[in-house]
Amino acid sequence: MNDDTQVLVVDDDTGIREGCCRVLRKAGYEVHSAGDGKSADDLFVRNKNFAAAVIDLQLPGMDGIELTRRMHAVDPDCVLLMMTAFASIETAVQAIKQGAYGYISKPFTPDELLLQLTNGLKKRELTLESRSLKKEREKSLLEIAQERSRCSTIIKCMADGVIVANTDRKIVLRNAAASRIFEMYRADHPQEASCTEPGSVPLPCPVSALPCAELIGLIESVFKTEEEPVIISKEVVVGEGTYMVNVSPVTEGDGTKCGVVAVLRDITARKKLETAKSMFVSMVSHEIQSPLAVAEGYLNIILNDTVAADEAQQREMINRSYLRVRALREMVSELMNLSAIDTGNFVIKRSFININEVVRCAVECMHEKAKDGKIDLFFESTNGRGSENGPVVRVFADKNAMFIVLKNIIENAVKYTPTGGSVRIAVEENGLYARIRVRDSGYGIKPDEKCKIFDEFYRSKGKLTAGIPGTGLGLCLVKKLLELQEGSVSVESVYGKGSEFTVCVPIER
Amino acid sequence: MQRKRECIVLIDDDRDFLEMNRRLLEEKGYSVSCFDDSDEAMRAMHCIKPDLVVTDLMMAGLDSGFKLSQKIKQDPMLGDVPVIIVTAASSLQGFSFNPHSQGEFESLNADAYFDKPVSTHIFLKRVRELIDKKGEAGRER
Repeated sequence: MNDDTQVLVVDDDTGIREGCCRVLRKAGYEVHSAGDGKSADDLFVRNKNFAAAVIDLQLPGMDGIELTRRMHAVDPDCVLLMMTAFASIETAVQAIKQGAYGYISKPFTPDELLLQLTNGLKKRELTLESRSLKKEREKSLLEIAQERSRCSTIIKCMADGVIVANTDRKIVLRNAAASRIFEMYRADHPQEASCTEPGSVPLPCPVSALPCAELIGLIESVFKTEEEPVIISKEVVVGEGTYMVNVSPVTEGDGTKCGVVAVLRDITARKKLETAKSMFVSMVSHEIQSPLAVAEGYLNIILNDTVAADEAQQREMINRSYLRVRALREMVSELMNLSAIDTGNFVIKRSFININEVVRCAVECMHEKAKDGKIDLFFESTNGRGSENGPVVRVFADKNAMFIVLKNIIENAVKYTPTGGSVRIAVEENGLYARIRVRDSGYGIKPDEKCKIFDEFYRSKGKLTAGIPGTGLGLCLVKKLLELQEGSVSVESVYGKGSEFTVCVPIER
Repeated sequence: MQRKRECIVLIDDDRDFLEMNRRLLEEKGYSVSCFDDSDEAMRAMHCIKPDLVVTDLMMAGLDSGFKLSQKIKQDPMLGDVPVIIVTAASSLQGFSFNPHSQGEFESLNADAYFDKPVSTHIFLKRVRELIDKKGEAGRER
């Protein structure tokens, strides 16, 4: 049992030294010995694993007291047992002062030596154990403290607001996000600042001080619910924001309710998005139903002879129906393009294309329309007007998308230019970009409309332009298509004088 | 004795609807004035003093028709003019365009609602009823 316990025996008297060694070995200790203080000290410092040392007080060179002092300094837990032939209170006290555990008077029996040593070792063992327990306790205390601070840090840093109320209906915890929510509310409602405001009031403060009656109600209803733990979730408006509030009881191990915790998640952005989405759906349904209703109405008049109409009038009604249905189909196709872009399904295949060629195609498409309106539509490339083999301006773009872009812009220019006006298209290289400028002498755009014309379904509604058909999606599509190709579109306009749209696309380099 | 032709004001930013409803109403002998802008219509109505107004709902704004209707109802000269709102959107912003209760109806400032295109027969019947009701109320006063 004492196998791994190392004991050092120090005595200049070989007989006693060997005797002690023998007794201790027999008892199972691993014994080392030294004949003088100096070599004992060296051995002790080198080994460091001695659990105990039996030291003669009278040693040549370094005496036992000095050796004891030094050994105690190296290892204060080592059991130092003094042997002395001249036992006196004085020397004993002196030795104990230097850190010795006890002393034993020569001559002594092996049992006396073993008893003293065992007691000393037991004491040492207890000391070591209590120290390790203390260490462990300190360690676990530290861990708890760390855990606590980690928890509170996590709660503090959470993006969601957290409020905890105890059964006295007092708020005992709130995190920074919760404070922010209610502080923001206070900032929005300065007239209510006088009331107790939990964002600034020190805790604990009453639940009723929360500036949100709905939230107070939710907390109260969780307190009152008798059933098994419930979680009440509700959208609550606080000031400008909308929050998804989850309120649940805080229960102890045995199920007793000791409080309520409310978590507030900011869903303002989501709500805004939902509103925008439903607005969009309303717009779409309105834009789709209008032309259908026109066609249905006109056809009904003709089919049921509701209104007396001659053949020419009937023809006109059919023509109007046709135009509206065709415009509707175009709008649906634009809508699908927009939706494909938004969902990332619009495939853009960019390659090096001659933008002049695409412009020419788009211009040709609008030729007929321009002729009808007696509009002078012409395309000038950088080296001269309308030259068939104009310079090649290579851009890095999708040919199909660029055609849609240019056709839309040129069509708009033609549509919004009164009879006799002009639409000029010019392509020029400008650093890293090719610029396609479409300038018309049309109705122009009011300054406050300039930022809106690229919005979905926005259509300029003026006296002069009221009869012009359109979907309100063209420019929106143009903008999105250009964004996909690192391009851009901008507009300058003088109301009543005309507009100039500029499209930029990256050039080949 | 020849009765004076009753006058109806039509407001819609869609020219086809103006045209269509104008034809329907003129066929029935009403005198019809068309406007594509509610502000302009409001100004003109003070001179025209119409017997009935038919307005589109979604024009420059999402609820232009309601606003116009409200203005008419609050106008000292036009307060008794019945207003019919027509719309191509059957539901919008959680708002049902076929109000269920009388209370809902009244809070919307209009006397009748129709989806586009109007069902000719019911529309014309309602127009007649509203104009007659206004006439009776006028005589009683």
